[in-house]
Amino acid sequence: MFPPDEEKLIEEVRKLKKRLARERAARLEAESIAEHGLRQLYEKKEQLQLLGAVAVAANESATVDELLQLTLNKICATSRWQLGHAYLVRQKGNEFHLISSGIWSEINCGWMEEFQLATRVIEKPVMGGLPDRTLTMGEPIWVADTTEDTGYPESEMRRLEGTKSAFAIPVRAGDQVAAVLEFVSEQFIALDEFFLQLMAQIATQIGRLLDRKRAESQLIHDASHDSLTKLPNRALFMDRLTRALARNKRIPHVSFAVLFIDLDRFKMVNDTLGHNAGDELLIQVVARISAALRHEEMIARCGADEEGNRETLARLGGDEFTVLLDEIRDPSQALRVADRIQKTLADSFRLGGNDVSVCASIGIAISGTAYDTPSEIIRDADLAMYRAKSLGGSRYVIYDESMQALGASRLQMETDLRSALKNDEFVLHYQPIVELKTSEIVGFEALVRWRSRPDSELIYPDQFIKIAEDSGLIVPIGAWVLRQACSVMCTLQQEFPRERPLTINVNLSSRQFSQLDLVHQIGRVVSETCILPGTLGLEITESVTMDDTDRTAAVVAELASAGVHVSIDDFGTGFSSLSYLHRFPIHVLKIDRSFTGRIDFDAESLAIVRTIANLARDLGMDVVAEGVETKAQAARLKSLDCKFGQGYFYSPPLDETSVRRLLHSQEMPMPHPRAR
Amino acid sequence: MKGIIFNLLEEVIVSHYDEDTWERLLLATGLDGAYTSLGSYPDRDLDGLVSSAALTLGLTPFEVLRWFGQQAIPRLYSRYPGFFASQPSTRSFLLSVNSIIHPEVRKVYPGAQVPTFEFSDDPGGGLLMGYRSPRRLCALAQGFTEGAATHYGETVQFEHRECMHKGDERCLCHILFSSDRSH
Ligand code: HEM
Repeated sequence: MFPPDEEKLIEEVRKLKKRLARERAARLEAESIAEHGLRQLYEKKEQLQLLGAVAVAANESATVDELLQLTLNKICATSRWQLGHAYLVRQKGNEFHLISSGIWSEINCGWMEEFQLATRVIEKPVMGGLPDRTLTMGEPIWVADTTEDTGYPESEMRRLEGTKSAFAIPVRAGDQVAAVLEFVSEQFIALDEFFLQLMAQIATQIGRLLDRKRAESQLIHDASHDSLTKLPNRALFMDRLTRALARNKRIPHVSFAVLFIDLDRFKMVNDTLGHNAGDELLIQVVARISAALRHEEMIARCGADEEGNRETLARLGGDEFTVLLDEIRDPSQALRVADRIQKTLADSFRLGGNDVSVCASIGIAISGTAYDTPSEIIRDADLAMYRAKSLGGSRYVIYDESMQALGASRLQMETDLRSALKNDEFVLHYQPIVELKTSEIVGFEALVRWRSRPDSELIYPDQFIKIAEDSGLIVPIGAWVLRQACSVMCTLQQEFPRERPLTINVNLSSRQFSQLDLVHQIGRVVSETCILPGTLGLEITESVTMDDTDRTAAVVAELASAGVHVSIDDFGTGFSSLSYLHRFPIHVLKIDRSFTGRIDFDAESLAIVRTIANLARDLGMDVVAEGVETKAQAARLKSLDCKFGQGYFYSPPLDETSVRRLLHSQEMPMPHPRAR
Repeated sequence: MKGIIFNLLEEVIVSHYDEDTWERLLLATGLDGAYTSLGSYPDRDLDGLVSSAALTLGLTPFEVLRWFGQQAIPRLYSRYPGFFASQPSTRSFLLSVNSIIHPEVRKVYPGAQVPTFEFSDDPGGGLLMGYRSPRRLCALAQGFTEGAATHYGETVQFEHRECMHKGDERCLCHILFSSDRSH
């Protein structure tokens, strides 16, 4: 009717339609933005929940296994990865390889079992396969399509058969890969950076727990292991022994043995070559003993190469070691082990520039005896070791009941030694020291003996000196010896006056030597006993001189200026460093009897004695060869320019009366009248 | 039912017929038609619209839903191309509804009640798809499936062996893909 109006209306409708279309487009865009936002929000929420759950678990999990299980479960439940599996990294030497942790997780996945089987069938994950590559590269690997040629070895392709995508990520503890998590899916899953980041954070959380667990086990390890040798310490050894004992009570026919090992001459090495060398020696000794035990273990298991700890080697302290041989078939096995240990220590050890030899005294206790506590077993093994030592060392002794008495008798002996001092039961014997060229007696070494009752046999120092040293009684005993020797020599010097007066040598233990007023004490004895100046000699062992070399140098110098000579006893045993000698004004080196005894058939002993003799001459010292027993030895020593000798070839140690008789008999043929 | 389904229906109707048709349907059903994809709306709204459409177009509700599903697929494709691109065939696309598409839908549309199908291989060939839902939208499933086949350049034979509309406890659809027949 009103065309212009109609046109207007049409125009209006067109505008409205356009506006409507704009509005719709705007709505769709707004919806799409909202959908996208919701999608991300959902993802964030899920991931935060996942990460949160893993973080909480990492803080609370008692075990790594628990955390791995939970993590795999959560990841499989919230992602499209249907199957998750954790590998752990094991170190063998310098090699790292993966083993299955046995921890799996799975969500609607029909071929779980086949995949598990395929993964387990191969003992180690395939070299160059997905988990292995993840380990070596230390980076996550995402295979979006496992059906394509991935360049993996064929066996790995077979393992991944049935999957469409796979993904693996390393878990680091410290700077090492400690585990690898692997996921597979039967769908194609494109690389998802978001998920990758999330997984990296999860791996960090797991790594934290691994780190903590390692630190914990390190702490436990530290508290139960010796820091130097890394061996179990006393506490751990006691623990293992307690278990062995408890088991033995339940199953008596499965027995065990304890070896108590004490190194002979360790202290000397420690003292002469320094503590670092001593430590190094211990480490080397432990390495050899451990190897010997491993060898034994292989034999016991008929070569089966499985790991186990049926042997525990522990360091109780110092140079004392114990071995627990568990589940032994018969006691002879313990003897075989002891023997093997001694053989393995037979070759000398290389320490810095020195060759050092040590050997071991070993005591063995076997579970057959009715033991109630681990300390009883250790005590018995210790007693047997003590017996081995008192028999001269470098041997093994099995504990038997009679040593129980020995143990008690140690205590008893201490008491007896005290009363011996009070009751004057010690006796001195004197072994002549002879000038080799003339066979003339120049002096004596005083040796202590003990007669506990007037009618009883003499007890020799090897039976009581160690106890005296352990108990500290050596100090008063030594003081008595010194005073007694000096006063006897004083009278001898008066009875047998010489141009060069007779000398007397007295042994000084390290305990005595370390007394602060040593020089003063000796000065007093010298002045109170009227012994001639310059005729008293003190014999100390090398180990004594090396305890504190500065102090030793000072003391030896002070003694020298007071006219007291110092000799080094048992010289040449156990080490080869002679360089320190010039530091002390030593007068005499006494060559150990072990060299003298072999001088006429063993080239090495001969060489050692020759070296010592030359060295002594260069340093202006005298040499006394101990243990001269044959004419041949005496002749050989003379030819080496060794000046003095001492031993059964000339005379055994004698009591005072016999000494007088001997000196008398020697005096008769003397061509020259004496000055005094 | 999420607004996205209503939006799709509107788009399909408007593009095949016109806006007036959609208005008439709304009018006949007594609905105002303000649907946003993220909102949730009563299931009966959809039932009403489908019934009216059936009346208006001279079809059964079953045929309307099936047709709607077929037509909706190209639109879904333009909105979510990723779901299609990641699958190579109708069959795998269908399987991915359970494992990928509907789980994703749940993430984007809070409160969506998407079905999970019971898939299994039919020993006699083809795929069996079990479906349970109080909405009983097996016709929509058929339409979606056929639409997808078209998308992949395939054809399917879709058979309702059991159906909740026939009093069965669930729907069991048998789907034979052209790709199955070719080998
Ligand atoms: C890109 C692909 C697809 C998307 C985005 C999608 C999305 C949706 C959405 C949003 C709903 C509504 C849920 C609610 O409102 O609670 C739904 C329902 C449904 N979808 Fe899908 N879908 C897709 C593909 C398919 C396919 C291929 C099928 C074929 C089998 C299918 C079958 C169904 C059925 C039967 C329902 C009805 C809900 C019920 O039974 O309770 N969908 N879908």
